[in-house]
Amino acid sequence: MAAERNVAARGWRLAISPADADVLVVCGEPGPGLAEAIEGIWHQMPGPRVRVYAHAGDEVGARLDEAHTGLLDTDHHRRDAQERPTASELVAEQAGSRAESHGGHGDTDHGSAGGHEGMDHEGHEGMDHGSHEGMDHGSHEGMDHGSHEGMDHGAHEGMDHGDMEMSPGGIPLAEGGEDRDGLEMDVLQVRLGPVLPHWPAGLVLRCSLQGDVIVEAKAELVDGRARQDDEVVGPARGIDNIASLLALAGWDDAAAEARRIRDTALEPGDGAAGSELERLRRRVRRSWTLRWSLSGLRRLSDEDAHARGLPADAVGDTYERLMGMLDRAVAGVAATAAGDIGTRTNDAGRTLSTDHLAHLVMGLDLATARLVLASLDIHELLAGQAEHEVSHG
Amino acid sequence: MADPMPMTDSPITTVAPGWAIAALGILGALAVTAAMLDGALAARAGGGPGGKMGGPVRPFGEAARLMRQRRRTTVEADRLLWRIGGAGLLVVAALMVTVVPLGEWTIFDLDVGVMWFNAMDVMVWALVWLTGWGANSAHSLVGGYRFLAHGLGYELPLMFALVAPAIAAESLNVGAVAAAQEGLWFAVWMPVAFLVYLLGVAAFSVWGPFAPAIGTDVSGGARVELSGVDRLVFEAGRYALLAAGAAFAVPMFLGGGAGPLLPGWAWVLVKTVALLAVLVWLRRRLPAFRPDKFMEVGWMLLLPAVLLQDLVVAVIAVWRS
Repeated sequence: MAAERNVAARGWRLAISPADADVLVVCGEPGPGLAEAIEGIWHQMPGPRVRVYAHAGDEVGARLDEAHTGLLDTDHHRRDAQERPTASELVAEQAGSRAESHGGHGDTDHGSAGGHEGMDHEGHEGMDHGSHEGMDHGSHEGMDHGSHEGMDHGAHEGMDHGDMEMSPGGIPLAEGGEDRDGLEMDVLQVRLGPVLPHWPAGLVLRCSLQGDVIVEAKAELVDGRARQDDEVVGPARGIDNIASLLALAGWDDAAAEARRIRDTALEPGDGAAGSELERLRRRVRRSWTLRWSLSGLRRLSDEDAHARGLPADAVGDTYERLMGMLDRAVAGVAATAAGDIGTRTNDAGRTLSTDHLAHLVMGLDLATARLVLASLDIHELLAGQAEHEVSHG
Repeated sequence: MADPMPMTDSPITTVAPGWAIAALGILGALAVTAAMLDGALAARAGGGPGGKMGGPVRPFGEAARLMRQRRRTTVEADRLLWRIGGAGLLVVAALMVTVVPLGEWTIFDLDVGVMWFNAMDVMVWALVWLTGWGANSAHSLVGGYRFLAHGLGYELPLMFALVAPAIAAESLNVGAVAAAQEGLWFAVWMPVAFLVYLLGVAAFSVWGPFAPAIGTDVSGGARVELSGVDRLVFEAGRYALLAAGAAFAVPMFLGGGAGPLLPGWAWVLVKTVALLAVLVWLRRRLPAFRPDKFMEVGWMLLLPAVLLQDLVVAVIAVWRS
């Protein structure tokens, strides 16, 4: 969150995919699995690119300034462009096969550094354990690290890795499977997470897609750990989740407003966040298009919620859950302002075991699944007891 | 292109082909205006200072950034189709404005100018889809298909919305349609067609509520793998389409260059900018229309409404003649 706040203060923007990013901010101490994913993002960034590490929230500002300086170092980027591995090398490294050469390298355009002052960089922030959370980091490789990965995320990969004859560029082709209508349709293996904007950090959802519908899903936590407790107390986390959901619903304006309110709520002092939040709630409530867009998505009954270990307020559809999030945030801010400092009541029970995740997204399309997941207002994920694979067929 | 055949009674003069450069310049200026306005609105929404590069100067900073950023490709990308898709939007927007009369001058005075515009906006289907397809990436492909899903919802209503002014003017020539609005703009007595047309413009520009094809929920959709200049051209194409759509609405619904005091060409520009501002602002107000939900609205609500509009217009046209 501190990173997002600093990015906003500089007038930079957050990128939503590695292709658009100039700066990679890694927050906290990533474990080995996450570090690998971050490396994957790093490989996907086009350059000029800069990677900085912020171990605590208060460091972020200084690190971003370093990143800005680093971006202007043209000689360094020229070297970086020559030395970085090509996509094919990365794929070969992963798949152990020779691939055709595809460098993702166009010519760099070297402007004079002076000409780029005050440029608008986009930061991707890596994850953050222990300092703040809800970061935006933009990897969404639909790749399976077990087989190959590189510049291309979302490559079509099938089940069979043995038959490299059929694998253009070292990427196995998709295989057919029976679709809902009984006709055969290609099944794509796509991995969501562990680092993805507006996505619970560290969560990996391995999906089989037919078209854009998730027909099978398997959830796990990278490095086998859930998000740790962090410094964020009170309602800020809930507001951050609201911002994510609004962003996913394609309402950038309201999402930006929610992020601003979140930053206000994080600052000690007056209860300015309360009135702003009330205004946001009214605005969201007034939007009938949002209601129309989100209603009916993955309606959960009392039994469903209970069976999934979700709190009672997860009952209803995605729109109702969003309204519940707003109500809780308003109440949380009011409680904090009333001197109930450090109230964590709203965090209690907002956990979800990965066991139940796959059931929640089955049969939804990719985008809807993300909306539904964001609407659950998850504050903490627990690794499931068993790794479930779910499929309907 | 065959030689344009100006109609004998057309109020429009066809200018020398060289003037096409000027038309491109105007389109470019309009697109930059739209981008600046969007930046200003974004800065206002974000609250606080937008830093040095916030607000209306944002598009210039962004352009500088993207020009410096390297182009990248993905493994096994269908590079040719991918680049065609990304660059095509700008080309289509330029071809759209060739039939829009600026006051009394136009590049092509086609007898079927309305159809020409319609053909161009259908091209966008292919281009956005190719951008999604070419990158060989799952999210990108999903984004491309989402645009087609939207297309199924908006394209027919848009076509029938374009039919209404043509029926009333008894001509498919854009100049003649503009001239037929003596005293009363078509936007006034065909409000449904006008609104549906504006929705269509937002839709073929992948703009605002019609942006799920490049939405955050699919990690940037068709845009996800674009970097550097490719991304710049794609984004510029979107703004240019928005500008071209707004410009085409002027002769079709807003009486062309008609207006007091100012010369015709100035009125065309003023009306275009006003409409463009409305379209840009739309993005701030509305969340995305999810393609699966919008399909129903397009077929069950917009299409019948706009057909009814056409019927009313046709009856009035027959009665008047």
